Amino acid sequence: MSEIERYIAPNQLDDALEALAGGPVTIVAGATDLTPQITGGKRVYKATLMNIQHIEGLNAVTKKDGKIRIGSLVTVSEIRGNPMLKKHGGILCQAANHFASEQIRNAATIGGNICNASPAGDMIIPFLVLGAAVELARWQDDRIETRSVPLDEFFTGPGRSVARDDELLTAVIFDVPPENSIGFFRKSGPRPALEISTVSIGIGGDFSDGTLKNVRVAFGAVGPTALRGKLTEAALEGKTLNQDVIQAAALAARQDVSPIDDIRATKWYRTHLIGVFTEELLNNVCQN
Amino acid sequence: MKKHAITLTVNGEERDLIVPSNRTLLDALRDDLGYTDTKYGCGTGECGACTILVDGMTTINGCLTLAATMNGKSITTAAGLARNGHLHPVQEAFIENDAIQCGFCTPGMVLKTISLLDENPRPTEAEIRHGLEGNICRCTGYTKIVEAVQDASRRITGSNVSAIGE
Amino acid sequence: MAEDVAFKHIEKTSLIGKRIKKPDAPAKAIGKTRYINDMVLPQMLYGKILHAGRPHAEIISIDTSEAEKLAGVHLVITAKDTPDLKLGFVKDNAPLKSKVLCERDEVAAVAAESEAIAAAAIKLIKVSYKDLPGVFSAKDGLKKDAPQIQENFPGNKSLKFKFKHGDLAEAEAGSDIILDHVFNVHYVTHCCMGTSCAIADFDHNGKLTIYSQTQYPYNYKMDLAPALGIDPGDIRVIQPTTGGSFGAKLDVYPYEPVAAILAQKTGRPVKVLFDREEEFINSPTRQPAAIHLRTGCTSDGILTFRSADVLMDNGAYTSWGPTVPVIMMRTVSGHYRVPVIDFKAQAVYSNNAYAGSFRGYGNVQMTYATAQHMDMFAEELSEKHGMDPIEFHLKNAQKSGEVTPQKSYLRECVLAECLTTAAAASDYVNKHKTYTEACTEEGRYKRGIGLASSIHNAGGAKIHKSDGCGTILKMDDYARVTVITGASEIGQGIDAVISQIVSEELGVPPEHVTLVNNDSDIGPWDVGVHASRTTFIAGNGAKRAAIKAKKQILAAASKQANVTAEELDLRGGYVVQDKDGAAVIRLDRMLRQMHFQPTPDVVMVSDYYEPNSELEGKDHISDHSAAYSHAVHIAEVVVDTYTGEVKVEKVTMAQDVGRVINRMGLEAQMEGGLAFGLGFALSEEMIFEEGRLLNPSFRDYKVPTAPEMPEIEMHFIESDCEEGPYGAKGIAELPTIVIAPAIANAVYNATGIRFLNPPMSPEKVARAIWEKKQADS
Repeated sequence: MSEIERYIAPNQLDDALEALAGGPVTIVAGATDLTPQITGGKRVYKATLMNIQHIEGLNAVTKKDGKIRIGSLVTVSEIRGNPMLKKHGGILCQAANHFASEQIRNAATIGGNICNASPAGDMIIPFLVLGAAVELARWQDDRIETRSVPLDEFFTGPGRSVARDDELLTAVIFDVPPENSIGFFRKSGPRPALEISTVSIGIGGDFSDGTLKNVRVAFGAVGPTALRGKLTEAALEGKTLNQDVIQAAALAARQDVSPIDDIRATKWYRTHLIGVFTEELLNNVCQN
Repeated sequence: MKKHAITLTVNGEERDLIVPSNRTLLDALRDDLGYTDTKYGCGTGECGACTILVDGMTTINGCLTLAATMNGKSITTAAGLARNGHLHPVQEAFIENDAIQCGFCTPGMVLKTISLLDENPRPTEAEIRHGLEGNICRCTGYTKIVEAVQDASRRITGSNVSAIGE
Repeated sequence: MAEDVAFKHIEKTSLIGKRIKKPDAPAKAIGKTRYINDMVLPQMLYGKILHAGRPHAEIISIDTSEAEKLAGVHLVITAKDTPDLKLGFVKDNAPLKSKVLCERDEVAAVAAESEAIAAAAIKLIKVSYKDLPGVFSAKDGLKKDAPQIQENFPGNKSLKFKFKHGDLAEAEAGSDIILDHVFNVHYVTHCCMGTSCAIADFDHNGKLTIYSQTQYPYNYKMDLAPALGIDPGDIRVIQPTTGGSFGAKLDVYPYEPVAAILAQKTGRPVKVLFDREEEFINSPTRQPAAIHLRTGCTSDGILTFRSADVLMDNGAYTSWGPTVPVIMMRTVSGHYRVPVIDFKAQAVYSNNAYAGSFRGYGNVQMTYATAQHMDMFAEELSEKHGMDPIEFHLKNAQKSGEVTPQKSYLRECVLAECLTTAAAASDYVNKHKTYTEACTEEGRYKRGIGLASSIHNAGGAKIHKSDGCGTILKMDDYARVTVITGASEIGQGIDAVISQIVSEELGVPPEHVTLVNNDSDIGPWDVGVHASRTTFIAGNGAKRAAIKAKKQILAAASKQANVTAEELDLRGGYVVQDKDGAAVIRLDRMLRQMHFQPTPDVVMVSDYYEPNSELEGKDHISDHSAAYSHAVHIAEVVVDTYTGEVKVEKVTMAQDVGRVINRMGLEAQMEGGLAFGLGFALSEEMIFEEGRLLNPSFRDYKVPTAPEMPEIEMHFIESDCEEGPYGAKGIAELPTIVIAPAIANAVYNATGIRFLNPPMSPEKVARAIWEKKQADS
């Protein structure tokens, strides 16, 4: 049995990072992933349980110097209802709207959703489409040291990332998308929300005169991590959208992914849906 | 297991208790404080039977939340909704519209509805259904629950009573 | 006081058919209701069960020493402590097992001071297993070299049923069209929101009080006793409020005797409560079945025969599941006239989960098959012979007075009216034609409309020697009524119905009627909440008791008013003149006068109502229900042919309800029943791999949520059942039974593809459409 020897709830980032540097720590914020993982025996508590909810400065959404910064404690509900994000990162709000239930959205944080590193993590997809990077902080030589990791380099496998044990994800940052940018999110399932994605997909880029540029495509639940669709992006970059281009992109999307069979879906169905959703979202782009 | 002294305000009453670090808010409410109106349905945040209101109108799943992290918070359960001997209009609407069969999901449904109507006092049917998707009911097929929410919306907006009942 | 009644006239009114609120609803709305899950008794211990988690194995050894040493653990038991204790229909199950036959098998149990300690202790029990090759399908179980599962059942053969009527060969020869399909009906489970729970407590005389979620309290004593080695008379069953049942609590399952054994041995009350994962793995399922259905028809659209060969995976033990052919063999026909029937069913032991009873009881499975055959005929006859699909159904629809070959007497049969009502209300014929034509056109979203119908018992089902219900009714000096009934309230609303009926007869408000029905030491016998029987049986019982009470009161009043009792009535809390409603005396005053006189005349009556049905019997040819009823559902769907998602937009239902009693409660049962059928049709499925359940959570076992439910238009056809209370029939299972094939037929109408194996999950539908496209191109 795992025993929690210490429970701390620091108000300052320094204290939190110092604690992280000091030994094995289980980090908790909304606990929406942690509790079921503990109950299901997939995780055990480490000696220190650290509640990061009170850390100052991690719960803001700001727009400054051409960057949007979302603190890691910002909840999915806060994203869903944020008017600035609706304007400058609508795909985030779309994904937030399809994220679990309201009860979970109210507790689940962006930092938690990313650090949980689920291949099906719904908020990861829009951030990948927005070209976001995560900010990781740690305690080094008596001060806070931060580094930035592009989100598409962050994940290394299911539940795994490049974040070190002594690092805390403090923010997700992305460039304010240009005026002509578009972004669409789609996840499978007849239920709007309370469902683990069989697959999810996001497509975004700059769209003018029927042409897509700086395209980013991301897929969820079709590989060991959420991933960028490089072939799909190539099939779309600089192209004027028409049915031929859309079909070619849908084909490329199916080649981008390497899903597995599990109880939620077969490889065939996931691949099939990726093609269907790619086509659907691109048609949405055309109609936009 | 490390234990902590915490203070929760539950239905307006300040309650001190000592909880192990890993105790869920649901267990603390039910087993330590006797608020058995908050139900265990799944323990994984999928059924909504443990829905509670935190610091006003924010719904969360008590089963996912660690009690230790809720120190100082104010919590409302279904048992805390009546005012001056009168049930909350949402509770009235659930009773009048036969939205209750076995009743196990009802406290969670009622609280979810209150929060839903607070945010959106005149929701469309689709908005109601979307709003209730985190609460599973196995008895009613939801029709009467949706009708109850619509009725509650009329009761609340018609009488200019705010959704919290105060 | 005479001035009380002067010039007071009370008109005759009726509550029957009105919308009555449930008396237990306010307490539930404020969370005050104490469910069994919430109960804590003084000195109570917490029981926890170690489940095998493997499908088939010898138990080599069990070491409980570490668990016993854990502080707070009072007792650890294994099969060694419970020899010779058996449970189940054919006594093939035991509270604790010495050999593992399925994943859920109970290997050991702990009683401890807290749930956490009990859970920790379970993890300290060391069991050494030797895994054995298993049987994971009925088909495999019948193979010659199949491992033997249950010692006393050679060849793994469990229950078997047969019914034959008429000359099959001759009927086949006389058929122009013969349909021949195998339908594989899958595993689903009840998912009661309140997980399974039992609290057991022995007194010093050896009498057990068990707090139980049972929906079958009086037979429960008989079923539980042999699992404890005590006399059924030494069991008192208390039924606290339960978070759903739906058939799951008709049988006794091992956790209940385990709680009792722990209580007996520790001398303390013991509570066993499942978490959600335990609930998924250790609860009964709906009986899965492979139904090989053959049906014949002439080119004139007259049905000629039907044969059904049903193979059922029994699982490791025999609960109610494999008994469902009792209903299947009747509902295989009985709404449509089928002159020749050949029905066979065989259950086969396996190392899979085992099934119990579940709302719709066998008929969900059978109607999924028969209603699709009816649709296939309708399609073919319409295409080849231009026959109107509704005309085809009407040609074969049975009518009042007909008797089925199984000897079900269809006394009041309004199937034809159900068909024409639902078809007209939904514009079925036109829409069906339009969608059929659009089916082959290009386009992502396809619309479809589908019709299905069925029959179900609606006046109980006499599978026991008595299908009756006892009622005791008393009135106090204030004209308040207490009804002690055998019928259980499990959320379905019988308390409201009985209050309403008693109120109707005695002229008191429904709120003045108190129901007592949660204690087997108090209540008279009843055969439980199942088989759509409670309003019919317990309703009749309550009505008869109330009429007795009324007669007693009016007899006393007639002496006083100097008129005959027939000239008096009870209305609005008064004894009145029947002809003009003129008040004679206030009812409470009347009751006090009756009470406080030299020879007291107190209202305390009892009744035992036994429906006029016949015992099911060994050959299954009998009129086993006091009434039968029919329903027609018409489902309208939109199929996303790319993703395979099926959205049911609207359901139009027409059901013979006999007579509406509580309109609001009736609607609620229809809507809730429909949700079960919809989940079964589209999204719910227990996924097993070699006997292990892979999706024991709401995340992966998808019960319907609010956005998935369709608009429902209900038409209640009142056939006025002679035997039913005020003409009512039982109603609650048909909505679960009929919807799934209606959806399947609608999906066919939309896509041209038949789904013989539910659920019609998005992947399955998408795959079938994609494969059809590949084949067509």
